[in-house]
Amino acid sequence: MADFKEEIAREIQSNPILVYGKGTKDAPRCGFTLETIEFFNRFGYPFEVIDVLENQPKREVLSEMTDWPTLPKVFIGGTFYGDTDILEPMAASGELAAKLGEAFGGAPPAPKQTINLH
Amino acid sequence: MIADHTLRDLIRTGLPDADVAIQDRTGTHDHFNVTVRSQAFAGKTLIQQHQLVYRALKAALADGRVHAVELTTIIAEN
Repeated sequence: MADFKEEIAREIQSNPILVYGKGTKDAPRCGFTLETIEFFNRFGYPFEVIDVLENQPKREVLSEMTDWPTLPKVFIGGTFYGDTDILEPMAASGELAAKLGEAFGGAPPAPKQTINLH
Repeated sequence: MIADHTLRDLIRTGLPDADVAIQDRTGTHDHFNVTVRSQAFAGKTLIQQHQLVYRALKAALADGRVHAVELTTIIAEN
């Protein structure tokens, strides 16, 4: 148990945006995890997805730490922000953009890639 | 799988005044859109409001009766 707590503390410390989900960024295995990946793709900041689908003990530690029983679980700048049910209203109010700016030390997001069609 | 009225009763164990609207997303009675209106949400952050609902659903989520919830919380006026 203590090992998982340390591991999680390390992970949320080293990733300004961290998603614990089911499946990976390239191969999400749950609709809500996919929705969360698509959500963060909109912002242009790098984010990490950690697959805990098969890791029941770690999932239990995470649920206890956050008082939140479901996946995905999102951490921004080390703080727990639930899932897109919380993040969508925060995005709409502008609160999320401020949090993300803070989490990345004021660095602007990567510019959206544009494709020129000739 | 869980019946709508059981889900509503579980939420009301934690939030006795709650108005609960339930929509089955998949036809399998384990993925739901749930809207909860309660005075208990007053003065709480959105995440704390959701935690109150999830606390009441903890057992049903743990034993798989409920697989996923898309949750909306609304602060009820007095």
